[in-house]
Amino acid sequence: MKLLMILLSLLIFFSEIAIAQEEYAFDISEIEKKPYHIGGYIELRPVLFILDKDSSLYKLRFYNRNEGNTVEEYNFTIQLDGSYEKGIFKLYTKINTDFQESYLGWSEETDLYEGYLSLKPSPSLTLEMGKKTLKWGKGYAWNPIAFVDRIKDPDDPELPLEGYIVASADYIKSFDGFLKTFSFTPVLVPVYDHTNSDFGRIDHLNFAGKLYFLLYDTDIDCIFLGGGSKTTRYGIDFSRNITTNFEIHGEFALFNEYKKVFINRAGSIFTTEYDATSYLIGVRYLTSLDTTYIVEYYHNGTGFSKSAMKDYFSFIDRGYNLYHSSGDDSLLKMASHVTKENYGRMNPMRDYLYLRISQKEPFNILYLTPAITGIFNIKDKSFFISSELLYNAITNLELRLKTTFIIGDTDTEYGEKQNDYRVELRVRYYF
Amino acid sequence: MISIVTILIAIIFPVAVHAIDSAQLLMKVDRNLNPESYESYRKLINIEPDGRKKEFVLFIIKKGQDKVTALFISPASEKGRSTLRLGDNMWLYIPNVGKPIRITSLQSVVGGVFNNSDILRLDYATEYNVEHMEEMDSSYLLYLKAKTKTVAYDKLKMWVDKETILPIKIECLTEASMLIKTIYFKKIKDFGGGIIRPSIIETDSPLYKDYKSVIIFAKVKRREFNDEVFTLTFMPNVGSLR
Repeated sequence: MKLLMILLSLLIFFSEIAIAQEEYAFDISEIEKKPYHIGGYIELRPVLFILDKDSSLYKLRFYNRNEGNTVEEYNFTIQLDGSYEKGIFKLYTKINTDFQESYLGWSEETDLYEGYLSLKPSPSLTLEMGKKTLKWGKGYAWNPIAFVDRIKDPDDPELPLEGYIVASADYIKSFDGFLKTFSFTPVLVPVYDHTNSDFGRIDHLNFAGKLYFLLYDTDIDCIFLGGGSKTTRYGIDFSRNITTNFEIHGEFALFNEYKKVFINRAGSIFTTEYDATSYLIGVRYLTSLDTTYIVEYYHNGTGFSKSAMKDYFSFIDRGYNLYHSSGDDSLLKMASHVTKENYGRMNPMRDYLYLRISQKEPFNILYLTPAITGIFNIKDKSFFISSELLYNAITNLELRLKTTFIIGDTDTEYGEKQNDYRVELRVRYYF
Repeated sequence: MISIVTILIAIIFPVAVHAIDSAQLLMKVDRNLNPESYESYRKLINIEPDGRKKEFVLFIIKKGQDKVTALFISPASEKGRSTLRLGDNMWLYIPNVGKPIRITSLQSVVGGVFNNSDILRLDYATEYNVEHMEEMDSSYLLYLKAKTKTVAYDKLKMWVDKETILPIKIECLTEASMLIKTIYFKKIKDFGGGIIRPSIIETDSPLYKDYKSVIIFAKVKRREFNDEVFTLTFMPNVGSLR
């Protein structure tokens, strides 16, 4: 019995040592570099929408169906990214597959988000060819100077985006002194029948470029795009830390001969052409209590005025009334047509304010980040506000619960959205 | 004659002589911890009061006085993230976001007790002046004061082992001398190439009671890098240096 007790004590003693040692184990296999990599995430995202049956966009989308007061949507996403590296070559790919079950039925869409070959003959030079995102600009919610990117969702600006097929290079030079870094990124954007055909007018080889300077501890980018698929545009941005916890950033974009399509309340479609300027100014501030504030003001020079939006909503109402009196949906179909790329784009009006307040680990609850986000349309005084809880205590598992309230009067951007509220749960597992 | 003058100066200006010694001691601590330019791998472990752990593995490179960059190797949710520090400028690159954003030294990219400046730490002598030094039986106690307001911790109290000239313990304090965290240097290991330094750093904080953070070092070695590697434009490519 005594022997058994000694053996048991020894077992406990050694197991404690083993645990203590295991606690600080750093297996060399964890840092071994393999030439290939496969990773990504799977995501489940059920969403509940509470509909606003009086809104114009509800009428446009639901005029010929009755879905009740709420609609549910179940999204399942698989995003795979892989790479293979040998010497100065690297092959990279990112594929996104979305499955969706909604009131419209079941759908599946697979897109190659990125897929390019990278050649790095020296740390100063990188050459890349294939489909990729460039993500130019310093703004968090909006990037008016991201001329070679798809428009991101300001409600979820960190979502991955699909790229365009480009050929690009990065040349970097470092210095001592007030100019610390200079880099030049020339980009070729071919737009043909089956290549980047959604970028702009086809049969053009477009040329874009970015000059980057780290000058007096300030990031500065000068950007341009020309070539015919879109009108020529120029941009400049900056970002700088005023203090360790206070950052300021801005963007300015000039769109030469910008063409805007709009519709009047009678249903006539017009095109106007003008030189448009868009700009953004923002700050990021971190308090001593780990609260982060992001505030941005965005002027969208390519956007619609309050009266132009009112005309658009009035036209939809006219089409809806016609459909209900005669069954003729031609006006609504016309409204749907002008909605795409015009009134239906993200934040189609002119002046917006973005605010995000996030609190890291409140009450010392590790890995929990609650946040409140709002976008306010300054001109028509409509807005949305969302609250979210992000929790990632379990390695590679991220949980996010988000509730959004969409508020505005009649004939305002958010007042005429098809939903009043939205509740969304996102469960994402990385592998 | 010269030595008499030196002795006289030392008697008249003992503080000045002392300051030079302590500053040199701090520089010696820096060089004993790391070569000026090096690469290393680190595992960061956040340990919760109930024993649950969250681990991060990073590849870290540093050049000269003010250039350091870190790349997350694992877990999968963080893989490919990189952070760059160029003097007082700090950026974070998240592959999904696709562009580097400016961050602050106090922000935490991993959660828990670690903040960015713990991960992207420059030499102590680059960021701090020695205000004064106390000599004890087997160690020196250095009182360090941040050179600028941009440094994450305004004051440090650093206990340095007399024999190895390596830190034993550091207390990180606010300007008002409030303790933010205590760092313990443990398990001295020979990494080769003349680099003999603590291989484990433990951190606790009164702000996170009963939580503990640990950094384990591996493969610390001298390496020279081009300056261009420490630029915003290069951030997505840091992995190619491994």
